[in-house]
Amino acid sequence: MRTYTMLMRLALAAAAVISLVPMSAMAADPIKIGVILPLSGPSSLAGSEVLTGITLAFEEVNAAGGLLGRPIEMIKEDDEGVPTKGVTAAKKLIERDNVVGIVGTYNSTVALVIAEAARAARVPVVAGGSTAISVTDANKAGDPWFFRPYPGSIEQATQSAQDVIKKLKKTRIAILYENTPYGRSLMESFEKLTAPLGATIVSKESYNQGDQDFFTQLAKLRNLKPDGVYLGGLIGEGAAIVRQAAETGLKTQFIGSGGMMSDKFIELAGPASEGFAVSTMYEPNTANQTGRAFGERYKKRFGVNANVHSALGYDGARVMTNGIAKAGVTDRVKIRDAIVAAKSLPLVEGPPGTMSTFDDKGGVSFRIGLAIVKNGVRELMPFD
Amino acid sequence: MGDLDLGFLAQLVVNGVVTGGVYVLVAIGLTLIFGVLGIVNFAHGELYMLGGYFGLVAATVLKLDFFSALCLAMAGVAILGVIAERVVFRPLRRRDPTDTIITSFGLAVILQNAALLIFGAQPQMIRTGLSRIPVSVWKVSLTMQRAIIPVTALVLVLILHCILRYTWTGRSLRAAAQNSVVASLVGVDINKVAAATFATGAALAAGAGVLMGSVFMMQPSTGSMIALKAFTVVILGGMGSVYGAVGAGFLLGIVESLTAGYVANELKDVVAFLIVILVLLFRPQGLFGTALVKV
Amino acid sequence: MLKVALAYAAAAFMLLLPMGVTGTYVVHVAIMTMIFAILAMGLDLVLGYCGQYSFAQGAFFGLGAYASALLALHFGLPFVVTLPLAVVIAAAAGVLLGIPALRLSGHFLAITTIAFQIVVYLIMAQWYGLTHGMEGLSGIPAVGSVQILGTTLARFDTPNGMYYLTLALFGLSVLIAVRLARSRIGLEWLAIHDDELLARALGVDSMRRKVLAFAVSAAMAGAAGAILAHYLHSIHPAEFSVWTSATILAMTVIGGRGTVLGPILGAVLLTLLPEVLRSADEFRLIIYGALMIIFVTFFPVGLVGLLRKRGA
Repeated sequence: MRTYTMLMRLALAAAAVISLVPMSAMAADPIKIGVILPLSGPSSLAGSEVLTGITLAFEEVNAAGGLLGRPIEMIKEDDEGVPTKGVTAAKKLIERDNVVGIVGTYNSTVALVIAEAARAARVPVVAGGSTAISVTDANKAGDPWFFRPYPGSIEQATQSAQDVIKKLKKTRIAILYENTPYGRSLMESFEKLTAPLGATIVSKESYNQGDQDFFTQLAKLRNLKPDGVYLGGLIGEGAAIVRQAAETGLKTQFIGSGGMMSDKFIELAGPASEGFAVSTMYEPNTANQTGRAFGERYKKRFGVNANVHSALGYDGARVMTNGIAKAGVTDRVKIRDAIVAAKSLPLVEGPPGTMSTFDDKGGVSFRIGLAIVKNGVRELMPFD
Repeated sequence: MGDLDLGFLAQLVVNGVVTGGVYVLVAIGLTLIFGVLGIVNFAHGELYMLGGYFGLVAATVLKLDFFSALCLAMAGVAILGVIAERVVFRPLRRRDPTDTIITSFGLAVILQNAALLIFGAQPQMIRTGLSRIPVSVWKVSLTMQRAIIPVTALVLVLILHCILRYTWTGRSLRAAAQNSVVASLVGVDINKVAAATFATGAALAAGAGVLMGSVFMMQPSTGSMIALKAFTVVILGGMGSVYGAVGAGFLLGIVESLTAGYVANELKDVVAFLIVILVLLFRPQGLFGTALVKV
Repeated sequence: MLKVALAYAAAAFMLLLPMGVTGTYVVHVAIMTMIFAILAMGLDLVLGYCGQYSFAQGAFFGLGAYASALLALHFGLPFVVTLPLAVVIAAAAGVLLGIPALRLSGHFLAITTIAFQIVVYLIMAQWYGLTHGMEGLSGIPAVGSVQILGTTLARFDTPNGMYYLTLALFGLSVLIAVRLARSRIGLEWLAIHDDELLARALGVDSMRRKVLAFAVSAAMAGAAGAILAHYLHSIHPAEFSVWTSATILAMTVIGGRGTVLGPILGAVLLTLLPEVLRSADEFRLIIYGALMIIFVTFFPVGLVGLLRKRGA
């Protein structure tokens, strides 16, 4: 009796493990595209917004007859903002689900390891919001497997600095940045431009992701009286800083970055967001016609305004689907080559006429605009 | 740095008192549960977080004013605390304490993820009618919203003090903390005591959650950090000592604020844990306490 | 007799696993399981045998990982050197924590270890200059290959190679755990667990034995950390948090304290479970928490205890 039950247990265990083995790829009807995003954890708000853009893009392609006559099946994985989970998700998508490509992810630290795993397996990845240039820098020049259809964070910060100093004419600027590679690179890029343009940095302070209480730092800044404060970080902390600044009586021009260009920021910061300036790649009233049309379709589908995150997701998904369509086959390498070659896919982000022209490291650059919040709504200043 | 900027120092101390008020409320619950029942409740931070969310629902969906929302949230989470005691902790009453640490951790995981499912991950804030315009006295500015935090904390502590000292329930709690066997001989129902203790601890944590949720944004993950700070306060004040927790809570808030202002902002959180280690190594009974519930 | 046969069968299964599967997913899960099994076995020596609480296993895991990674990145040292160094550093940390902390007992000890865990985590997460903070460390070199006279005997920079390396270290850990458990030291640990005062009266130097338990478990955690770093080529503070410690604790308790097999089973269950439950994604962690409560409440002897009872 004992022997029997023990052997049965062993057999069951072995069977359980073997069942995890991926079955060889059978010709399935739908085309599977993997999506990896932070759907839980601190970046989940951004992650879920990016997902809506991707969802819309896939739905539109399916409504128009699918890709190569087959429907798209999106297989989404939550990386929780943690690199090891991202790697596991990538491996699972590549080997068990046999996806033809991956769209993801938002956090640059996770994107870095996903790109590495995908590169080793020769699977193309289109970014889902990650902006740190370290990810595209890891591409071999001329042989990119990770694509970023928008400017990297360094370019964003540089353009912000130019706009703040030249357009808004601020000369004594303080920087509050997040203690992460993202925040740090924003701070460094911004700072690099200030002296050549004739402005000075009066203070640089960092905070940790997840911090809630900025009252002490703001009290310090109040004493320094800067005429501008650049915020390099994520929307949650940025909104808290702006709101708390008003509560401590600090009056200054706040300039935001990245995700602070969304409506959620205005909602979180409340009336204190009036006058807030932020570089933005996408607004529903953008001059970019492709973007404007996307905004209208998005509003109809989801009932809320599109923002930079959903636009990123939309563009990223379209780069992938366009690559598959142009390749004509579900061969990962050919899809990658098609993405590189596709220079005339209009993007919804950026100024009118922006196209998906990737440089040899898989990045795209275009002019980013500056918007100011007036009466609770962002207004784009002229692109100049 | 130059001469001491008294205005800046005063502002930092005031900031610290505000944060300290929250720590006090969460820590009292934790220390009460430990002092009376001997349970280290890993899920206490989640009770705080759920209190904030209950308050959010009360304020936005039921459109209650701030204080009604506060009371409703406290009552709601108190009930949750009683259920948790009955289902998760009571079955393990006679067992190895490691077991309750693990189950309370399991409870924390469940509560945090249930909140994630129900309320979503977006940061939320409780909007109340209280003023957000700062009032400046000398060089210190404070909004009404923040000023009521330490005030409410002290009021609740006062109420708790009266309950513990002057009511039969309170005396039962103190008796059970001293010796549960003798207490039950004298007629104290340990089950009722356990329920009352959890209800009180949960209610106080929930109150802290609502107060914080009106000043700062909350997400399902905010419970964890607060719980760890509360543990620091409990140890600093002496495990089981309610008044120790009060003193230590405000003290920690002020120390953190001074660290952020004068040393480095990033070290604000590390300070708390370094204090824990130092206290445990050199004065494990805490600054103020012994292991009994002292009133 | 049956046990020995089963052990051989299990060993054969593990040796042949990479041959029988395609792709790297299964091997990946197997490597992660073994890493956590090493962590859980280490913790069990402290918790199950010696009877002391420790929530710091995640911190030692992280110390080993960062030590090995930083030594490799800054000094170019090969794995063969960084692994033992990581083990030594982690063990030293274990001693450093143990000597003062083990004077306390019960809850105080538990909370001291939690505080230690958090301080280490905060250092990993916030000391950007040393650890790159929340960016984590990346580009950690793979384990090299073993070459003699220009011919490659074994390659460890592939997933399969790492699998066998991890398997070897796992086997070594099992061996150490079993030998320790059966040795005089193991008996003294059990005596301390039962009644420390009595043990001391009988001549056991309880302080030294307790510190030794801490040191050994930290050493094993450090080794596991080094493997992780050189397998994933990048590490991040989130992998070494208090939640990690609590997960390892759960593995030990659910699997069965005071045994060698228990933590292994616990690691298998709690590593496979999130993978198997991927489809029920939103509920995954809730189920996980519920299982912990259910197991501890109703099956305190753990999986090992259950298997033994059913077998009898």
